[in-house]
Amino acid sequence: MPFYEKGAVRIHYEEAGSGFPLFIIPGGGLNASIAKLGDSHPFNPMVEFSSDFRCIAFDLRNANGGQSTGPLEVDRPWEAHAEDMIGLLDHLRIDRCMVMGFCIGNPLLWNLIKHAPGRVVAAVSAQPSGFRADLPDHFYKTNTAKWGPALCANRPDITADMVDRYLKRMYLANPDFVFSVSRDFVRNCQIPLLVMPDDTDSHVYTVAMEMVHLAPNAQVSLFPWKDTRENTRLAVRHARTFLKANRPAA
Amino acid sequence: MPFFERGSTRIHYEDVGSGHPMLIIPGGGLNSKIGFYTSTAPFHASNEFKSGYRCITPDLRNAPEGQSSGPLEVDRPWDSHTDDQLALMDHLGIDRFLVMGFCIGGPFIWNLLKRAPDRIIAAVISQPSGVRPEAPRMSYDNNLKGWGPQICAMRPELTMEMVEQFLRNMYLDKDFVYTVPRDFVRGCQTPVLVMPDDVPAHPYVVAMESARLAPNAEVCLYPWKDTKENIQLALRHVRTFLKANQPA
Repeated sequence: MPFYEKGAVRIHYEEAGSGFPLFIIPGGGLNASIAKLGDSHPFNPMVEFSSDFRCIAFDLRNANGGQSTGPLEVDRPWEAHAEDMIGLLDHLRIDRCMVMGFCIGNPLLWNLIKHAPGRVVAAVSAQPSGFRADLPDHFYKTNTAKWGPALCANRPDITADMVDRYLKRMYLANPDFVFSVSRDFVRNCQIPLLVMPDDTDSHVYTVAMEMVHLAPNAQVSLFPWKDTRENTRLAVRHARTFLKANRPAA
Repeated sequence: MPFFERGSTRIHYEDVGSGHPMLIIPGGGLNSKIGFYTSTAPFHASNEFKSGYRCITPDLRNAPEGQSSGPLEVDRPWDSHTDDQLALMDHLGIDRFLVMGFCIGGPFIWNLLKRAPDRIIAAVISQPSGVRPEAPRMSYDNNLKGWGPQICAMRPELTMEMVEQFLRNMYLDKDFVYTVPRDFVRGCQTPVLVMPDDVPAHPYVVAMESARLAPNAEVCLYPWKDTKENIQLALRHVRTFLKANQPA
């Protein structure tokens, strides 16, 4: 299994298929990992799209259950993950790609677009996570309860205090919208975007639809689409034609 | 605007834009006509797509407010219109084409897919009409009251008896999308994008059933006709669908 290493950061990734690169950010919050694509996700993009695209997926740095590790950058959590993604793309000599993110992949893909302008030619955001005004500390609380203790148990160099600072910075410092970019950024983003909304505590329908209405080249899948296999298939076909239509000509 | 003539049938059509050919079947039931674009259409299809596609839009034969005319083929209502559509494309020298249909265009598209499966590259089925199980006579009744007297007043050779027979064969004792059975849709490999509606003549349940049956179907957001913003979202989906499916 391949790894990309930079300093103390070690990112586990997998590739499948060939064609224009499709960079896949798994869901699962801070436990986002390749393994989750095949079990907890509504569809496995590595299976669905590898016949047409070069699919690359990775374990998020410090995801429990994943194999990527690195420092816990308490003052710059979103930026640290953006650097990992850009570093992995550099390592794979991928100049331009499409990106598909699940759940936490939404704030991460927006941050990738912000930090690597011109590099992402189209984006699919599936079941995007975002800020809920009625559950303002949802991600802080759930990660404090679940992700933090497991990480500390595996990593003696990481303390609960560090986890607390990290999560506060990540989820409470800018408690709005998609966490990582502003509404103005989305409003001015010309990249074709397909949003596949969900509606759970973590996957906020109103934020998903706000992105859709703000982004000038956005489109949206049917909703709901995760409720039945037939609807999921309809949504996956939409994603496939979206990707095919937006990949650059060979 | 040009006419295409074949025997006693005369089809008025619009041919605008350039690119891969796309036949556009306007809505309006048996009054399906080019003027649909500027009256009740949710978007002006030929204006939206003419920059990338050659958009060909006919008036339906015997639509009272259109300029196409011809015999009322009482024994083969759906097929007589499909004849016109295929003959028009033949006349224009077009072999394979995309098709987009509104309302009555839904049943027509399925009939085109049945009659000329190798000629249709992909289809967009917008606000399709279909048989509403709780009101199976609705289209028959509506056209008997509306379209029938209107066309008879304009065409002395047509009688209400002929109209009644035509409508009976077109709309009564039908199911689903009128023109093809569920098994046909289940076996249809052509990519189709369904844009559901839910008014009496455009049953949501039929639109979604066809989308779920067809193995290469997609469906757009719903509702999509309710706001300008949602229409734009749906149109972006249509554009990517057409782009992804047009031949290289």
